[in-house]
Formats: sequence, structure tokens, C-alpha cells
Amino acid sequence: MRDIARNLALWAGLVTVLALALGHDKPLNVLGLFIVSGLAVGSLYALGGIGLVVLYRATGVLNLAAGAIGAVAVMVAWQLVQWGVVAPLAWALGLAFGPILATAYGRGIAPRMAWREPVVKAVASLGFAFVLLGLVSFLWSDDPRKFELPTDKAAVVILGLRVTVTRLLVVAAAILLVIGISAALDRTRVGLQMRALANNRRLSSLIGIPITRVETLAWALSGLLFGFTGLMFGDLVRLEPAVITFLVIPCVAAAIAGRLQSLPDVLMGGLAMGVIESLLTLSDTFKSVRPIAPFVIAALVLLLMSRGRRLTFAGED
Amino acid sequence: MQITRSGLVGLILAALAILVLPMLAGGQWLKIFTSTTAFALAAMGAGFMYARLGMVSLAQVGLMGIGGWVTLRLNHAFNLPFEANLLIGAAMTSVLGMILALPALRMRGLYLALITLMVAGGLEIIFTAYQFPNGGDGFWGVGTSFSATMRRPFLGQTDAGFLRYALVVALLGFLLIEGHRRSASGRAWALIRRSEAAALASGVNVTLYKTWAFGLSGLLAGLGGGVLAGSLGLLDASTFRASESVLLFALVVVGGARFWLGAVITAVLYRVAPGLLNNWGVDADLALVFFGAALLHAVITAPDGLAGQIFGLFSKEAAHDRA
Repeated sequence: MRDIARNLALWAGLVTVLALALGHDKPLNVLGLFIVSGLAVGSLYALGGIGLVVLYRATGVLNLAAGAIGAVAVMVAWQLVQWGVVAPLAWALGLAFGPILATAYGRGIAPRMAWREPVVKAVASLGFAFVLLGLVSFLWSDDPRKFELPTDKAAVVILGLRVTVTRLLVVAAAILLVIGISAALDRTRVGLQMRALANNRRLSSLIGIPITRVETLAWALSGLLFGFTGLMFGDLVRLEPAVITFLVIPCVAAAIAGRLQSLPDVLMGGLAMGVIESLLTLSDTFKSVRPIAPFVIAALVLLLMSRGRRLTFAGED
Repeated sequence: MQITRSGLVGLILAALAILVLPMLAGGQWLKIFTSTTAFALAAMGAGFMYARLGMVSLAQVGLMGIGGWVTLRLNHAFNLPFEANLLIGAAMTSVLGMILALPALRMRGLYLALITLMVAGGLEIIFTAYQFPNGGDGFWGVGTSFSATMRRPFLGQTDAGFLRYALVVALLGFLLIEGHRRSASGRAWALIRRSEAAALASGVNVTLYKTWAFGLSGLLAGLGGGVLAGSLGLLDASTFRASESVLLFALVVVGGARFWLGAVITAVLYRVAPGLLNNWGVDADLALVFFGAALLHAVITAPDGLAGQIFGLFSKEAAHDRA
């Protein structure tokens, strides 16, 4: 808990300093607008990052196909809406493609390389990403499309700022999911088993933890998160399969901010990355390179992590 | 110095390619083969790092962009010969590669790959924002409507000559790696690959040799970028997207990272195959599906890739004993 409070203070401090430095001469509601849109994009990074971390902890696979799975989900949802399927059903079916694809890979292909190093598993998941991206680009040629949710039109006014419900929804979803998943990991039996797997896979299997079941659950949960992230990215930012596929890169940046293990840190890091990226629009120098923010932050986090660390004889990857 | 059988085949093929390829290919194909050679250089760098050290570089095409940028920048700023531009570009890419890898060098495996992914993402944004120099004013050197000429090497004034030149550069790159592999650094890498603990225990400076590998791989990527710049005279940011870096690495695994032939196959798949498929009426997007499936196949059942399987056909001993 103390770690979380400290990191929260650090991220909040960083964002405040940047907001003051860049936005001190701008009107307050302009600044607020940038922060709100940054929070929305940041929670997309965080949502993807949470999915990556949940899966990585439970299975040891960093699924770089996360973005591609999201792209399939949103394209299917869009197509079904075009065909005149009732909208909520179309969204649900699109969303369902997330867990289906992730579980198919997790059960069908991932076990064949269970004995390889984590980095090889991550590289292999790129293969899955290319298969999905190739199929999606083949089925849906490059046309400008729009994926809309009714929540885009609805808006609430918070402190004088008009915020669309979709944006509120993604921020709230990210926060609630982190709280919910953390609680589940702490309190439930499956959560305990997942933590055991994260700690030591061989010992976990020796003491009789049903590895396949726990892993399948993790694949499905992460797939659901990727699907949701894709759907929301398609609505809020852009509906373009290639872009959504490589959305996985900033999501990885958010996951790095949480050292690939701590969900609250992924959330805070992801949100901060989104807000900083958005605030950089106010700077003339950095305006054109603002999407670089998550990568720079992730690199700095890695530098901090490795400070004072030495190569030792012990330990695996 | 002993020459292995696969090495001999490689040298003969390289000599044949240098002599014959520029004569056979015409028009557009000369440029395609030249850029294939440039990507083979980059693939070689990523491949040797993966095969010898198990390190994954997902920023190789981005690093090519740095080499190309520096080469173009020097070409338009000073009156140096092409060779100087190319070498300075490659050296700067190498240094930058080492610096960019620093945050993850004290960490193992996965983090190293992830930091290169961040680098690839960052470079894509920088290239898109600032573009490549085309003879304009200022540090970034981007003018709106004109493009200054790119000076080519004395021996490579024509497209055919430049292809020959590029092939020689690539051959030298291969030999550079092979030389490293047979010297002290190659032995250190082999030990690190086997076990970092064992390497540490026998007094190998693990961080230094890992950084060196990164530098060497960056050097080759920089050379590739410079060659590409020399061939085209102008570079476009879309060539160096993060997705391209990731795809090139995927194809490195498919081609077979342990062998020289792997780098050639990688570059041909990357640069020639999509165009060929297009000519045959197959959607280029399906090439991506094929590449993805091939990557999964390579990881699961063919760790030495296509090159390993080809060499395996011609050899009774197991492929991994010779490499």
C-alpha cells in the first residue's frame, strides 16, 4: 500500500509539474480538456497493459498479439453493426472474439513452446499478431470507417468541463478492473493459484495446482481486456486495424511501468503516459513528437529499475 | 583459417551474385535487389544477435533509418565521398544502438526485447515528424519542393554498379561477423549464451560483450540504411516504421538466424516476396498471414529456420554441429 501511495505521488507530481510548465499561460478549461482526453487515451494504454501483465504473470507469455486481437474484435463489431445486427449484440459478439482468439492461441499453440525462454514466447506471439493482422487487412480493405457508441453523444459536465460518457467509461473501467482483479488475486482461490504460478511454475505444478485451468482463465480474461481495449480505441481514436495492432507498443510501455507485475503501477503509469502525451501538444517543440512520451517514460522506468542492480549468478530471466 | 563447407558455398554464391546478378537484372529489379541487399545487412545483424546471444532486437529497421538519415545528412551538408558518409553513418548508428540498449543491459531476456520495441516505436515517431534530409536548410535539412542529388561511390555510379557495390558491402559485413565469431568475442558470446553465470564465473565481462554485440548489430543496420539511401537518393519515413522492424525480426527467425543463408532468405522474403505475390494476383496482406504462420512454425518445430532445413538436406551431420 505504501508503495502505491508513493508511486501515485510521484506520477501525480510529474504530471502536475509538466501541466504547470506547459500550461501556465493557457486558460484552465483548455488545460482540463487536454488532461481529460489524455486520461482517456492513457486508460486505453493501461487496459491493454493490465491484460498483458495478468497474462504474463499467470502464464509467462507476453502476448504481443494483444493489439491484433483488439483489432479483430472491433472490426467484427463494426461489420455486424453494418449488417444491421442489433448494436449491443454486435458489440458483445465482437468483444467475444477477444477471449475466443486469446484462448485458442493459449490452448492450441502456446503449450507447444512452454519450455522456451519468455522472450521466444513473446516473439512467437508476434506470429499470431501477423496472422490476425493479415487476415483482417485482407477482409477489410483500407477504407475510412467509423465505429461509434451511443455513449459518444452523451456527456456529463464535471467542474465546468464537458466529458463524453465513453471517456468516463474507459477511465472508470480501467480503475475498477485494477481494483477488481487485484482483489480477486488477493482473495479468491484462483487468484491464489495465479500468484503461485507467477512465483514458481514448477513448484506450483508439483503441489497440484491445475495449471491448465488457471492458464486458460488468464488467457480468456486477458483476451476480454484486449477486445475491450480494441473496441474503445476504435471508437475514441481511430478504426484502423494496423494502428490498433501496434497499439500494443504503448501498452507494453504501460506494462513496463508496472515492472510486468504490479497492476496499480500499470494503471498509474498508463494514465500518466496518456496525460503527458496529451499535454505535450501544448509545447511547440514537442508537439510533433508527442506520441513518443510512453516510450521515453518506459525507458526511464527501466533505467531506474536497473539502477544499483548487478548481474548475479542466481535467478532465471 | 578454416573455411566451412557452407561458408565456401556462400563465398562462391556471393562471387556469382556480384558478377552475374547486375547483368541479368534490369530496370526496377536492380533497385529491388539493391534494397534486398540493404535489408540483408540489417537482418544479419539481428540474426547474429539472436542466434549467438539469444538477444532480440525489434528495432533493426529503425536503426537502418538512423544510418540512412546520417548518410543523407552528411551527403547534403559536406562534400565527403560516399564511403565516408556510409561509414560515419554506420558508426553513429552503432554508438546510438549501444546507448539505446543501455537501460536493459543489466536485465535479461525479455526486457532487452521490450526496450528495443520502445526504441522502434520512438524512432518511427521521430522519422515521421522530422522526415529525411533532402538537401533543405537547417539541421533537419528538409526542403519542401526540391531534392538535391545523392552522390554515389566512384565504382557504383550506375544502378548496376551500385548493386555490385552493395553486394560487396554485404559480403564484408558477413565476413566481419564471421571474424568476430571465430575470435575472443565469439567465444565470450558462446559462453554467455550457454550460461551467464558460467560466463561471469570465468571472468567474461558480460555487459561489455553484450553491448559490443549491440554495437555490431547496429553497425550492420547502419550500413544497410546507408546503402538504401545511396540507392534511392531519398528516404521515406514509412519505410522505417516499428511494424517493419518487428516484421523483419519475425522473418529473421523464419529464415534461420544461425546461417548466412538465413539473412539472404529473410531479405528476399521481406523485400521480394510481397511484390511477387502481388504480381501473381495474391493479396499482399495474405503474405503477412503466411509470414506469421511461418514464424509460429519456425519457433515450434524448426529453430534453425529455412536456412537450417536447407543446409540439413545437404548434410548428414546435424545442422547445429556445424554452424
